[in-house]
Amino acid sequence: MASGALSARGTGTGAGRGGGRPSGPPGRSRARAWLYLLPALVVYVGFAIYSAAGTVWFSLLDWDGVRPPTWAGAANYVRVLTDPLLAEAILNGLTLIVFFSFVPIAVGLLLTGLLLGRVRTGMTFFRTVFFLPQVLPLVAVGITWRWLYSDGGMVNRMLESVGLGALTRAWLGDYHFALIALGLIGTWCMSGLCMVLFMSGAQRIDPALNEAAAIDGAGPLRRFWYVTLPGLRREIGIAAVITTIAALASFDLVFVTTNGGPAGQTNVPALLVYRLAFNEGSIGGASALAVVLTLIVIVLVSAIRFLTREDR
Amino acid sequence: MPGRYTRFTAPEPARRHALRAFTRVGAGATAVLVLTSCATLSTGDGPDNVPEDVSTSITDEPVELTLAYTDDPPSTELVEGFTEQYPNVTVELQQTPFTDYVKTVTLAMSSDEPPDIAQYNPGAMRSLIPGRHVLDLEPYVEAYGWEETFPEASLEPLRADEDATRFGTGSLYAVPGALSMLGVFYNRELLEEAGVTRPPGTFAEFEEALDAVDAEGTTAFSVGGLEVGGFQVWNTLLNTFGDDREYRDWVHGAPEASIETDAALEATETLTRWVEAGYVPEGANATSDDDAKAAFTGGESAFLVIGNWAAFELEEAMGEDVGFFLMPGEDPDAAPVTSGSSVSYTVSSATEHPDVAAAFLDYLASPEAALIQSETGFMPVDTDVSLEQDGVWAEINDVYGTAAEQDGIVPFPDFATPGMIDQLTPGVQGLIAGSTEETTFLSDLQSEWERHHG
Repeated sequence: MASGALSARGTGTGAGRGGGRPSGPPGRSRARAWLYLLPALVVYVGFAIYSAAGTVWFSLLDWDGVRPPTWAGAANYVRVLTDPLLAEAILNGLTLIVFFSFVPIAVGLLLTGLLLGRVRTGMTFFRTVFFLPQVLPLVAVGITWRWLYSDGGMVNRMLESVGLGALTRAWLGDYHFALIALGLIGTWCMSGLCMVLFMSGAQRIDPALNEAAAIDGAGPLRRFWYVTLPGLRREIGIAAVITTIAALASFDLVFVTTNGGPAGQTNVPALLVYRLAFNEGSIGGASALAVVLTLIVIVLVSAIRFLTREDR
Repeated sequence: MPGRYTRFTAPEPARRHALRAFTRVGAGATAVLVLTSCATLSTGDGPDNVPEDVSTSITDEPVELTLAYTDDPPSTELVEGFTEQYPNVTVELQQTPFTDYVKTVTLAMSSDEPPDIAQYNPGAMRSLIPGRHVLDLEPYVEAYGWEETFPEASLEPLRADEDATRFGTGSLYAVPGALSMLGVFYNRELLEEAGVTRPPGTFAEFEEALDAVDAEGTTAFSVGGLEVGGFQVWNTLLNTFGDDREYRDWVHGAPEASIETDAALEATETLTRWVEAGYVPEGANATSDDDAKAAFTGGESAFLVIGNWAAFELEEAMGEDVGFFLMPGEDPDAAPVTSGSSVSYTVSSATEHPDVAAAFLDYLASPEAALIQSETGFMPVDTDVSLEQDGVWAEINDVYGTAAEQDGIVPFPDFATPGMIDQLTPGVQGLIAGSTEETTFLSDLQSEWERHHG
């Protein structure tokens, strides 16, 4: 082994770049690396890549899932792209990004700023409380919020108790407020996740930076703005990616709370995928819509990655 | 860590699960595609589905059947009753929850080892019938004389043409094992408080009752607008105002049929008038069917439009206080019309024991089965059996008998196309929210119909 390491270092190939760990000759080491990767690779290719490729293939077929499929070419894409429902659903998905992504990131940053360095005891308690929505099954979350938002639910009772009885309504059934009400459930779910991400990121920032800034006379606000925030760029990027995907691909929450209602006001693309496949039996149409949704997600996620890249 | 997030990137698990199912079928389907493109001479796209040499007597040898179903009761009870009569037959039961049933039964019945009998589902039939995966029951209809033993109205929706594009005509593919229908449940006590002493006999009387209840400060209807409850109210109005032949043609996909009729417009306008009058609660669009049921049993409303499948639950909660009638027509003497359906059973074309399966179907119309059907809260298939019942059960039975005798049981509107339910629910939500015009609602339904049948 030692000679192998030496020779690797001696020949100056990239194999030893990992940082002084012993390794065999490049060829064998690469083979072994693949061997270690194999189990994960098989699972990944089998369940992610293969199914994704299958979706693309199905999107080109006219198929009900039972009878022999026929070639459809781009017909499914034409259908989903010209359906006004899809445009509305995508617009709703984009609106949800505000509630699933922008607001939770802002709330997460605020909580981080408030908790960081002040709360010495009971940090685990806060973290658990704020992270709790992430642990609950979304179906349970959805049903609970349906009750909270209902005619005689807690939201309306609270409004009544502060004299805003005139505003009460069945929020999820309201033509204009349903999407916002749904979005706020997302805010509730995602804020804790963002906070936990940001807290761990902020604790990694070199304390010397903060101390130096404090010595230079920077107050807590300035220190947050000039030290903590730039240090969290990567975490913000990750949070934005996760929450944006959650907004665009949201399904279970919508399915149990509004099912797209009232009158299609909360339709989201994933809901239409489900309906096309399982209500209408159009596997091709559903697959085409899923591919379109994936492309939209990829474009948005790439944009976020570009904006939050490290080397700016 | 990624595992933690996949839970929230919501549809991933669901989609992946579905995809896995698709790919599995996909492999088979691709093989079929390749095979059919090679074998240019093969004309049929599935097995033969017309049985030959049918017999109404079954073997004494031990027989094992499998039965896939979703509704329980009555499935297990009926199977028990059947195996009591034929002790040599054992039936293995495979239940799937309703939300998954369409896809599961479609995949199971088109697989290499399908269940012998499956609970009928109109959505699944649209692919299974053209694929010849279910048995054409015509030879048994003749052998057993099912046209006599089953009520005609209950068989009609179970007939389809070979492509399953048009229903209500062609061969029979299933028979009903228990019948249900849509009607109006009412809270006797609340009605009496409002001075309404007997169920309304005409539509005008019904509206007077609504007004009287409303004047007492009681909500007239509980409506589960979030799910199917909203369009069920519209459904009963449509049955009341519309011509039942025209409506049947539309649901069954007859050429040139249309829902844009004066009667449908009147039904729709009546619904919006009820919304404006406050008979339909403002929060209806956020109310699930279960919530609506709970509100009604809790005495929060006087009426609930739902099928007799809820009778068991409602009677348990309200006892003598709950009653049932069909939405009355403008003319008190007109034949009652209401939407109904059935828990029906269909036979796989690949079964090794078609005669035994058919014997089970025949059993469903027997007086013995009728007892089981009524005990489990359904309408018995054999309407001649006299059942000693009281309270809401007697009312339901009475009404059903009258409607069925006059051929007044029509299918539900969401059977018109596979995607119709996704037009009906949001459409009625729009009517309740006041954001959709009555004429737009109907033209949206019609364009969905034309996309499928046109």
